[in-house]
Amino acid sequence: METHDSGADGPRVPQRNFLATVLSRSDHKTIGLRYLWLALASVFLGMILSLLMRLQYVWPAAHLPLFSQFGSAPDGYAALTLLHGSLMIFMVLTTAPQAGFASCLLPVQIGARDLAFPKLSAAAFWVTMASICGLVASFFLDLGTGIPVWIASVALFCAASLVNSINLGVTVIDLRAKGMTLPRLPVTVWAWFINAILGMLIYSILLAACVYLLADRFLDARIFVVTEFSPAVPGSSPTVGSIAEWQRLFWFFAQAQVYVALLPCFGLVTHLIATFARRPIWRQRAAVLALCGLGILGFCIWGEHVFESGLNTGAPLLFSQLAAAIGLPAAILVVSWFGTLWGAKIRQTTSMLFALGFISLFLSGGLSGLILARHDLGVTPTRDDFVSGHFHLVMGVAATFAMLGALFFWFPKMFGRHLDERLGKTHFWLTFVGVYGVFMPMHWLGLMSHSGMAAGNPAVTLAKATFLQSLITISILFTTAAQTFFVANFVLSLRCGGVPAEANPWRATTLEWELPSPPEVAREVVVYRGAYDFRSVDDDGRATTEDFVPQYVPSALATFGRRNRSPQGRGQTAPHSPQPAGAE
Amino acid sequence: MPGTRETREYREFEEIEIILDDDVGGPPQPPVGRDGGDDRNKAPRPQPPSTGRRYHTAIVLAIISITIFFMALATAFLVRKAGQDWVPARLPSVIWLSTAILLASSGTMELSRRRLAAGDPHGFRKFWQITTALGVLFLVGQLVAWGQLVAQGVFVATNPASSFFYIFTAAHGIHLLGGVCALVYVLLHAFKTTEAPRTVAAEVTSYYWHFMDGLWVFLLALLVLGK
Repeated sequence: METHDSGADGPRVPQRNFLATVLSRSDHKTIGLRYLWLALASVFLGMILSLLMRLQYVWPAAHLPLFSQFGSAPDGYAALTLLHGSLMIFMVLTTAPQAGFASCLLPVQIGARDLAFPKLSAAAFWVTMASICGLVASFFLDLGTGIPVWIASVALFCAASLVNSINLGVTVIDLRAKGMTLPRLPVTVWAWFINAILGMLIYSILLAACVYLLADRFLDARIFVVTEFSPAVPGSSPTVGSIAEWQRLFWFFAQAQVYVALLPCFGLVTHLIATFARRPIWRQRAAVLALCGLGILGFCIWGEHVFESGLNTGAPLLFSQLAAAIGLPAAILVVSWFGTLWGAKIRQTTSMLFALGFISLFLSGGLSGLILARHDLGVTPTRDDFVSGHFHLVMGVAATFAMLGALFFWFPKMFGRHLDERLGKTHFWLTFVGVYGVFMPMHWLGLMSHSGMAAGNPAVTLAKATFLQSLITISILFTTAAQTFFVANFVLSLRCGGVPAEANPWRATTLEWELPSPPEVAREVVVYRGAYDFRSVDDDGRATTEDFVPQYVPSALATFGRRNRSPQGRGQTAPHSPQPAGAE
Repeated sequence: MPGTRETREYREFEEIEIILDDDVGGPPQPPVGRDGGDDRNKAPRPQPPSTGRRYHTAIVLAIISITIFFMALATAFLVRKAGQDWVPARLPSVIWLSTAILLASSGTMELSRRRLAAGDPHGFRKFWQITTALGVLFLVGQLVAWGQLVAQGVFVATNPASSFFYIFTAAHGIHLLGGVCALVYVLLHAFKTTEAPRTVAAEVTSYYWHFMDGLWVFLLALLVLGK
């Protein structure tokens, strides 16, 4: 397993030119795993930062060893928040589900040998790497140089994301295997594809905004600056008009960014639910259309935040309607999940638990979002903990749950080993309880400052608030500590050799499970059916021992379960090549 | 029993073919194997020749992406124009000459592609070289335009309109420089049999080049009408 324990970029035999080997590898699996390692490192860094923020909140006077220069200065807290946010949003929520999982799995799932442009994909990874270095470095620089470095890093990230989006889009459009028609695509691939198109649009806009910002900074251009403004001169400030213009460009990107993070997670969760409920996705076509709808509406509701920031007077109603309309495709997805789960014999694996956890978090976070979509209520809650709770629950935690579910699911395929189920389930339940403990009190705090402070006894309110704050702090520590189960599980599986994985341990239907775990060389494959053909009868209505028919099995061979009744047949595909012998 | 199985396989396979028919689109290409494994009559190859389809798709997606990028730039221009400190800017005169040069380069590009399609590699090379030279000339023209502005004392920081002029021309120029690099690559690169043929490369480059041409006309119209 040494080959795979460091993102598959540590060769077993020490090479003479290690750096050249690392730089030259561009196969999709290596690149995808590198993205996932990058996201893993970022998520732990981001988590440490959120702990620091909490520490500063609880003990404002405390001096932290490495961050002493930030002390109790408000700039320090803002810098921590910025780094936490940019690491989590860009490097974890955007990178892991899209660039990471998609690069790794999408080509195999559609039966392609590799991405359309492997070299570009590798280049995009290194640009992303440069971007994360810049983001982290900007934190340690002083304000004058730190902010331009941060903007430039974001611009680099945009460029890399654009390249990735185009690459993934072309791969799905042109490199599907024979027989892999659009209706037969796994819903994961649909989600990645829609997300690639959405990413193509919004990262172009953010890149344009970054170009303007950098021009303002370095060339003294007058794009967002109306009056004389220099960060070095205290007292000089840009006027409101210039900020409005920036916000317009920014929210084009930022509101849709939520859906960029969530869309692939919807795909992953839908896939996991169908596989572990052992049923086809209920109303699959409607679910795919709902994903498309989320992509389109997600791009259109950029104005929502402009009215919540109190800028625009004309459009609030329109954007409020659009923001509420996004509930429709989301509701279709939720109904489809429940329809799939209804009456199913659910296999409660860890990844299924995480998928169900995702639904729970998405529902609770989404319900609080309904409150935020009301334009008349919008002004107050945006400034307090309510938004913080809502946003983290939907975007951060729910997406993380989907990614963890996907990781538990595809870990055997990526590394040829299973993660331990018992440790995984413990990790799930502790984290599940922990995150509700963190973010539900935040909603409560937000509502209290909204209504409770105005009427009622201030002393009682304050006592309640203090109690809730300490509850949040305890929950944060608890949740962070619970992640040791995950780290232990991860390290133990890779280092001490978890249970070796056979080709198709979950008895799943999509193409990647035809290959051995971990996959070596992609091979020619022909697709014969849709992605979720879970059933216990063959085409002639006779009962089979297996309850699924993989995409790569032609109909006639689907009766293998009847011929081969031995329990060893579990997870094995028919001993036939997927290329039908009599087809010519 | 085996007989029935085979017939069913066959029937299933035909269904796939029917579905595939509307799947295999794109312009007619030289008879090289397609991507995506729909070449069942051929033995599996370790390194199949790459066809043009993916490059066509990629350039279309890239053009959409670049369009959005410039639309975002243009949006800010239109919004900013309404500001109180807006001073209309005079465009340097050389800009009209370079616009004519760029439009002409699109024409020579088309002539060049026709030569290639007619099986005349020498004619193709000649017109392709002219296109490249015109492209470089356009970029020089943009630099001269900047020089004219600087001579008039108009810099990036002078007023918002000048900022936009410099940023628009720079952003377009960088994209066009990429196009010039592609032109040179198509001209000089020795295309191997495993790669997409030169016709595909020329076609994809020409899409991009015409797009850059149209984009410049749009930006110029924006700068002229929007001042």
